[in-house]
Amino acid sequence: MRREPIGAGGAGGASRLAAWRAPLAWLACLLLLAAGMAWLEPLFRWFQPDTRQVIYPHADFLTLLGRHLLVVGVAALLAVVIGVGAAVLVTRPAGRDFLPLVAQAASMGQTFPPVAVLALAVPVLGFGTWPIIVALLLYGLLPIVRNTLAGLQGIDPSVLEAARGMGMGGVQQLLQVELPLAVPVILAGIRTSVTINIATAALGATVGASNLGAPIISGIVNGNTAYVLQGALLIGLLALAVDSAFERLQRRWISSGIG
Amino acid sequence: MRREAPPPNRVVTALMLAAAMAWLALPSVSVAPNRIVPGTPFHAHEIVGWAGALVGCLPWLAMVALAWRPTPTRYRIVLGFAVLLLAALPAWLAGVAALRMDPSMPQARLGIGAAVWLLLFLLGLVLIELRGRLALPRIAVWLLLAPVVLAWWLASSHGLEALALVQEYRGRSDQFAAAVIQHLRLVGGAVGASLVLGAGLALSMRRHAGLERLGFAVLNFLQTIPSLALFGLLLAPLAWLAANVGWLNALGVRGVGWAPAFLALLGYSLLPMVRNTFVALEGVSPQVLESARGMGMSRAQVFLQVRLPLALPVVIEGVRITTVQAIGLTAVAALIGAGGLGTFIFQGLGQAAMDLVLLGALPILAMALVADGLLGALARRLDPRQSPSAGQEATS
Repeated sequence: MRREPIGAGGAGGASRLAAWRAPLAWLACLLLLAAGMAWLEPLFRWFQPDTRQVIYPHADFLTLLGRHLLVVGVAALLAVVIGVGAAVLVTRPAGRDFLPLVAQAASMGQTFPPVAVLALAVPVLGFGTWPIIVALLLYGLLPIVRNTLAGLQGIDPSVLEAARGMGMGGVQQLLQVELPLAVPVILAGIRTSVTINIATAALGATVGASNLGAPIISGIVNGNTAYVLQGALLIGLLALAVDSAFERLQRRWISSGIG
Repeated sequence: MRREAPPPNRVVTALMLAAAMAWLALPSVSVAPNRIVPGTPFHAHEIVGWAGALVGCLPWLAMVALAWRPTPTRYRIVLGFAVLLLAALPAWLAGVAALRMDPSMPQARLGIGAAVWLLLFLLGLVLIELRGRLALPRIAVWLLLAPVVLAWWLASSHGLEALALVQEYRGRSDQFAAAVIQHLRLVGGAVGASLVLGAGLALSMRRHAGLERLGFAVLNFLQTIPSLALFGLLLAPLAWLAANVGWLNALGVRGVGWAPAFLALLGYSLLPMVRNTFVALEGVSPQVLESARGMGMSRAQVFLQVRLPLALPVVIEGVRITTVQAIGLTAVAALIGAGGLGTFIFQGLGQAAMDLVLLGALPILAMALVADGLLGALARRLDPRQSPSAGQEATS
């Protein structure tokens, strides 16, 4: 579904890469720090001279980063499929009865704090990776459903009229007109959802998940500020890298001239 | 089929068929001999027999039948049923406690089962659906929920003493009150401070375009940093300050505790507050301001009597977003020793005591919903562009 920006097509790969400078820079920082944390040991030792162990020992930072990304990624993927699917269903004639309920529930659900949702998911689903993915998925659905609905409902009726006039069927109209027009709003919803989920997944460390939240929790429990800093820096960089990538995607879609 | 017959309400039908299935297929309660041992789940048919369980299906099926050819009257009856059932659930739990729990074991605990949670959720959805169908004002929904809250409240001291959630509360009612107050203090402090700071920032941003760009860039950046990470990043510099700056130490600033929590909450609160205040002040139409000046108002008068009242609903909307967000973030702040209701959540998760988690999470949910409802109502009330009745139409 990705399209070349109109008018910028001839500029070639160099300028396209330049446009992705910010996310790539954050990503490079993230990977360098995750891979090279051990080399910073003198720095942390200077910072915390009285502690024997200054680098989080229980797992490699790249592994923690990978697990964090896996949980957030799986949850986001499922949330996009289910969320966009649900919003599309309730805006079709067959599902329109459910539209008011889904719209209201999605906007009310967003008042629930993500921590509370994670905390309530544990008694129901138990400890472990899957319960966290389910909790992230449930909460991550809400902004996606809400924005997809807003995107689909915000389309000028005359555009849909024109699409019908051209002889488009329901599916064709959805795939070629409605969804492409709604993409910027949907992307904004996915961005909100993923940003919240990166933060909430880190809290998963309190229920035994081993991800970038683990050094922070372990550092707080053991009074080791160096661990806390290591985890916090990496999560912060991860959030910034992902967020700036989404910003880039949104801009690119809008500048491609069909948004 | 005649044309006048209204089509079935498929939403209520689907929800209540799901409710009937949940009632039959999922456990209503779990009974545990003490706090540590996991409970034994009991289905409805294991408690009152299959005949009783099937009788228990009747109200759900009655609602399905009423929604088949819906009229406003039938919708009202369904609404009445939904409220009655919500209020009857604690009675059902109390009945189960009387039937299934051995009075000789005072340590025994009753846990709320998946069926009851699901029924509460489905009935809540039915209320949302009916509110839309009947175009009820928000206040009516709050009034309808009052007897439900009362029923649960009464049951917690009459018949549901064995409920694990009630027992967790009994064990720490003083701590609970202190946690609620601490939670509200942190939220109130952060929201109040961000309102003052945010208004100042928004006003100066309107003067200097450079500050506007920089300010929004910094605040957007802050908002992206996950809460746990920001709390962590504040820990080290604050610990250093506490160790090296005497008067800060005397104030109670430490690497952990209220200081990093408050700073982080303030940082997160500023973006929605500044954004809304800025947009609100910018959004007042130039013609209105022009005519105010034409009437001979001074600059201060234009600001206080025209711009501010017109901007106020959007500012209050900012306070609403900020408050709801701060209520959730304060829960995370418990991890760095700031207190509040999050303490119970993380203690409960640590001890695998799920009812302790509920004791923290449910009040946080309730707080967020109430703050959202009250501040939303205030914003609509203050909005001069729409009368209260128009406001209801716009939101339904």
